[in-house]
Amino acid sequence: MHDVLVVGAGCAGMRAAIEAHDSGACVAVISKLHPTRSHSGAAEGGINAALGNSAEDSPETHAFDTVKGSDYLGDQDAIEILTAEAPGDIYQLEHWGCVFSRNAEGRLAQRPFGAAGSPRTVYAADITGHVLIQVLYEQLQRRMDGGLEVLEEYFAFRLVIEDGRCTGVICWDLLNGGVKLVTGRAVILATGGVGRLYRATTNAYACTGDGMAMALRAGVPLKDIEFMQFHPTTMYPSGILITEGCRGEGGYLLNKDGERFMQHYAPNALELASRDVVSRSETTEIEAGRGINGSVLLDLRHLGAEKIRTKLPGSRELAMTYASVDPIYEPIPVRPGAHYHMGGVETDNWGATGVEGLYASGEVACVSVHGANRLGGNSLMETITFGRRSGKAAAEYAQGAPSPNGHGEAARADAETWVRSLLDNTEGERPWQIRDELGQTMLENFGVFRYADKMDRQLGVLTGLRERYERGIVIEDKGEVFNSDLTQAIELGYLLDIADCMLQAGIARRESRGAHSRPGDYPDRDDEQFLKHSISTWSDEGPVLSNRDVRMTKWEPMERTY
Amino acid sequence: MNVGLKIWRYNASTGDRALREYEVDVSDEATLLDTLDAVKDRVDGSLAYRKSCRMMICGSCGMRVDGGAVLACKVRIADITAGGRVPVVSAMGNLPIVKDLVVDMDPFWAKMRAVQPYLTPRYDQALERENVVPQQQMDVIHKESLCINCGCCVSECNSMESDPDFLGPAALAKGFRFVGDPREGAVPERLDRYSAEHGLWDCTRCYFCNERCPKGVDPRDAIAKLGAEAMRHGIDSDMAAKHAKWFVVSAKTTGWLRETELVPKTQGVVKAIKEIKFAMSLLPKGKVPSPFPPHVAAEVHESRELYDLVKQQDRGGALGIVQGEKALSRIEHGHDGSGGERHPYGEGSFATPYLPGQGPEDDPNVVALLETAPSARTAVSDTAAAPLLPAVSDTADGNAGTPVSDTSGEDTKA
Repeated sequence: MHDVLVVGAGCAGMRAAIEAHDSGACVAVISKLHPTRSHSGAAEGGINAALGNSAEDSPETHAFDTVKGSDYLGDQDAIEILTAEAPGDIYQLEHWGCVFSRNAEGRLAQRPFGAAGSPRTVYAADITGHVLIQVLYEQLQRRMDGGLEVLEEYFAFRLVIEDGRCTGVICWDLLNGGVKLVTGRAVILATGGVGRLYRATTNAYACTGDGMAMALRAGVPLKDIEFMQFHPTTMYPSGILITEGCRGEGGYLLNKDGERFMQHYAPNALELASRDVVSRSETTEIEAGRGINGSVLLDLRHLGAEKIRTKLPGSRELAMTYASVDPIYEPIPVRPGAHYHMGGVETDNWGATGVEGLYASGEVACVSVHGANRLGGNSLMETITFGRRSGKAAAEYAQGAPSPNGHGEAARADAETWVRSLLDNTEGERPWQIRDELGQTMLENFGVFRYADKMDRQLGVLTGLRERYERGIVIEDKGEVFNSDLTQAIELGYLLDIADCMLQAGIARRESRGAHSRPGDYPDRDDEQFLKHSISTWSDEGPVLSNRDVRMTKWEPMERTY
Repeated sequence: MNVGLKIWRYNASTGDRALREYEVDVSDEATLLDTLDAVKDRVDGSLAYRKSCRMMICGSCGMRVDGGAVLACKVRIADITAGGRVPVVSAMGNLPIVKDLVVDMDPFWAKMRAVQPYLTPRYDQALERENVVPQQQMDVIHKESLCINCGCCVSECNSMESDPDFLGPAALAKGFRFVGDPREGAVPERLDRYSAEHGLWDCTRCYFCNERCPKGVDPRDAIAKLGAEAMRHGIDSDMAAKHAKWFVVSAKTTGWLRETELVPKTQGVVKAIKEIKFAMSLLPKGKVPSPFPPHVAAEVHESRELYDLVKQQDRGGALGIVQGEKALSRIEHGHDGSGGERHPYGEGSFATPYLPGQGPEDDPNVVALLETAPSARTAVSDTAAAPLLPAVSDTADGNAGTPVSDTSGEDTKA
């Protein structure tokens, strides 16, 4: 039996596992992918910490930018923790060997990013997530020599809750087959986001909200789940991410005429306004007929070949491979695409959730440091800082917690019966039809702009899709070995659960704040009624919504312009 | 677009292996991975393959197309099915197959762990600030740090095919990532470890790993750099190291490779004596030149100067390895790497950018729509060359009017 189980092995999961191990706990990491396959590795532009290496900066400025960027929905005490502890966490990564880019003095280079008052984004060209994943896995392997265990290609699909306490995880063993129970005194969820809810997304196939849905079904509340960030520069047609670093290095956004349209919407920050603002501006341009193929253009030509090759080589490779465009000579067609979930499993500042022994960190969690809109570069930092904090807290809790009562085996048997019934079903449709319809309709009806009639329509769509899903879907693979047909069918159920919560919370939030924009009926922010977190819990009848106050420290809500 | 492909299916429980043909409808820009998704969704849900990011960074979808390793998400299906070709897709080589296109990666990760894949800091862990390291020094390990652990290099490794215990290109490239890191404190120990049996000297230099790496890591170059660093540190007891050393001595002294001396210098006198019978059989064919008097090349001064230059520039180790072609230059869009002029703002290029109020405007409605009122809007003209805003960048490369020349090979860093 382990002290701490970490579910998910991206940046947050690995950082949590390392910290828990170093705090003396016996740790197992459970991941449906090999750790370096995690989607943190696809992060490109960078990670924010007020090091002040490029210009004057401070954690306070970083905190203010984040609070303002969140449209005042972020919890200010959590944001202050993040910005104060970020520099130390970055130095730790550097000392572990992280291959960050350097400035002329040989210190960590920092680039400008959207809505940031100072160039504070530490980076490694445009493969920052990749180098973080690599250095964290290096450190994980070091600790594997010291007893840390990694159960890779284990698909976690249920939490074991006994006497109101989380004591384990039930998994499908992908390589060997079979429903397995892994028991622990504490569990940290670090399973990432749910971008796969949308047809146009930067997210990997693996980003299906597993942890959010498992927690929800185990009675843990989700917070601010209606806030999905649409990244302004995802490539047409694939949805693949082109980093904000392109604009940080000076890239332009153009409409079909070559006009830098951002001047109309954010006259000071232009292309480097916050992401919600830029995504709305692009959508307005496209809907007004000033796009090309439903896209606008990201123009890097003026940066010159040398800068593109050294600072943005990965973006160039992606553009050439997936859009047949070489950004040295041609602009890249881009449009907003689902990118990051500000909302998630509600936690305190140490990652603890409402259920004893259950923690969460990274995108799956909502502390909240991002509020209604995340700033680019803040989520990688969150994975490290809050990953570390949750690892420490879970280890401390676990080392003082009694052993579980042994209810896990019954839960496992129950889960096995359910999986077998899924596999045995031969009546119904293939899950991909439901998956594709879900992705298409979420984009149409719950995207960058949200309208009352479209949201109502989407509620109906979701009811229909759920009925079809529950009526029975056909898993064609009946085997035990690497049955991804089975795991993808289970993931689809997660997507449906999260979509229900998002729609309910979105309809109830009758204002426009951050990524939740209702130009048709509630175009303004309404602090009087809605300076509150949405809290979603699950009941037999579906999601139930309530509110929670935002934790404020020193910043009063102000009008937000860029 | 209708495409056909054949897939080697493998069922672990029965041991059955069969080549199946599939036909699916996919979009023109679909990748091989998209095509496999279409097969799995619509034709046979039991098809197994790994996938995740679909953007060449997670390293999940390594597999073979027509016998060579690729990332499925990087390959356009139109390119491999052009002219009605039906490509054959199979699992990667040199790793046991689990099911269909899924291989057991455990041997791969075990070798990775065998190179001690984490930094051994040479500094005290003074966490107050970062280590100060010039970018130039970090560039030494730039290519190796691009590795996404997909296994394509290992799949194609000829040495590993004959010796499954060979550490292999991925693990050795990871090894160089630490050996070349200025922050690493255990370089000699690493070189010692990597020089042991099944280590860096067992590479046959077939260059398949360089050829097949989808990220431009060029593992063979990393292995060469490790070898050079090992020799620089005097870690040269392996036969292959002695062989290389003698090459240098021979070239420096006489400008020729003196084969007759090569054998005893490489294998030692005792072993060389055992080879005498073999040598005798080569003698009549002129393959064993007499060592006395040594045959000195007429232009021997050239090879001596080269030797001195390397010494003088202190390029005896990794820095002396001339790197292979950078992968990115191989995918130059619109280039075959052989030249040709392109211009970012030339004829047929997209319009030159302008700020509202400073350039052409063809839609008067914009004004009303945006509730802004730029005072002077000029009539539209396709060819109007509005002044470009000063770039935020510090480079003048891309300014209008500056032709950008051929780019092949520019990414190479020595």
